Amino acid sequence: MAALNGTSTVIQLDQVNKWYGQFHVLTDINLQVKQGEKIVICGPSGSGKSTLIRCINRLEEHQAGSIVVSVDGKSIELSNDVKNVEAIRKEVGMVFQSFNLFPHLTILDNLTLAPIWVKKMPKKEAEEIAMSLLHRVRIPEQANKYPGQLSGGQQQRVAIARALCMRPQIMLFDEPTSALDPEMVKEVLDVMIELAREGMTMLVVTHEMGFARSVADRVIFMDRGEIVEEGPPKEFFANPRNERTRTFLSQILHH
Amino acid sequence: MTRTGPAPALAAAIACAALFVAWEIGARLARIDGLPPASQALAQVPAILGDPEALLNIGASLRRMVVGFALGVAVAVPVGLTMGRSRHVAAFFNPLLMVIYPVPKAALMPVIMLWLGVGDASKTLVIFLGVTLPVIYHSYQGSRAVEQKMLWSAAAMGMTAPARLVRIVLPAALPDILAGCRVGLVLALITMVTSEMIARQTGVGNILFNSLDMAQYDTVYATIIIIGALGFALDAAFEWLRGRLVAWAEPAHPILAGTT
Repeated sequence: MAALNGTSTVIQLDQVNKWYGQFHVLTDINLQVKQGEKIVICGPSGSGKSTLIRCINRLEEHQAGSIVVSVDGKSIELSNDVKNVEAIRKEVGMVFQSFNLFPHLTILDNLTLAPIWVKKMPKKEAEEIAMSLLHRVRIPEQANKYPGQLSGGQQQRVAIARALCMRPQIMLFDEPTSALDPEMVKEVLDVMIELAREGMTMLVVTHEMGFARSVADRVIFMDRGEIVEEGPPKEFFANPRNERTRTFLSQILHH
Repeated sequence: MTRTGPAPALAAAIACAALFVAWEIGARLARIDGLPPASQALAQVPAILGDPEALLNIGASLRRMVVGFALGVAVAVPVGLTMGRSRHVAAFFNPLLMVIYPVPKAALMPVIMLWLGVGDASKTLVIFLGVTLPVIYHSYQGSRAVEQKMLWSAAAMGMTAPARLVRIVLPAALPDILAGCRVGLVLALITMVTSEMIARQTGVGNILFNSLDMAQYDTVYATIIIIGALGFALDAAFEWLRGRLVAWAEPAHPILAGTT
């Protein structure tokens, strides 16, 4: 990928630990993300990769270590302070595996809800931004339908547009294509690749290794709550150093 | 099956007509003093509706019902929605509701009359009690059914907990809330009549039981027909409103049905 123009750190995780009861779901996670960097996180199910990115916007709480998110020159450490959490969530967009669109709202209203009620944006302005984003994800004609009337691929593109409506600095993707029928995966990945080309900072949990090869600056492999290996995609796929990485890659790359 | 066209209205008309015919024949065969034929009872309906005093009575009933219903919904919906999203709130209210639910609300009427007298306040309170429980229960179920994941996506965009309750949970639970309101509306009508039966002053129940006391059986049945028609009209109006408010939740959504 192109060289990173800014080198400021936007996300910094230091010795992050999390437990579900007795179960140690994240162990000593250290991760630094630079502005504009695209990171793909992969690993077997239950490895903690989704939990990790949910901790970054505090949908889940970590119990030890620190997570600092920096936006517009301000560094905010995630804690129980609701104000901090809200400030970070305004700048960090998230796309979920199961789309999670609001079924009672039209596509357009799904997009404008948060800009209007969180950012207090005038309705007209929010709708203009929403329509331009629907054009960008190539489904402006669906604006007045309800989520239940759209295909999975279309719903996920709406979900991406909805997250972008808040003008986030960072985008988190939690297995965005794993709930989709195979023929719809490409339309969603195309939107994500375009977003990556425009310089968005992205953390993507996915098993789409083609996507990792073409856009990722770094690939991270997680297993049993630990970061086992990380590196540029070329190196990561050609010479995985760890045995667990090799086993995982052989399982998902050979059919 | 389509829901358009005159078929349901026609079916309802046939059912009503069949009921009246069976009543007419039954009454003429049985020749019981307290069961006048349907034709006699129906003939009294215009007389009641043409009587200004009777109309004032019906108006007073409806006013209490509307006030009791509105207050009931205004209290029950927030309680139900909050219960659905907080285990602590649910744990607090659930046992209370379980104790109150099986008590017939009209049975509380004599006690309430001791506090508030025989006027509007007592009757409105009984209607209120009749309405709140089904509305709380349905709002609670609807609120519980809202997926946590959906609230996550709202939280991820920076919406605060109260905003999520109003902007996401309330509209998403609206189909359930309205189902509860529909039950509540019928219960409001029932408690309205029973409250007037116990504390007789004005109202539809008052007409009903006064004419019963005076052995004017055709008026008794005519009043029952009016109450039935009132319930039918209220329910139809409510269904119309519900259809407009929650079109998104209709399973027979035209385009949804057309997708492959």
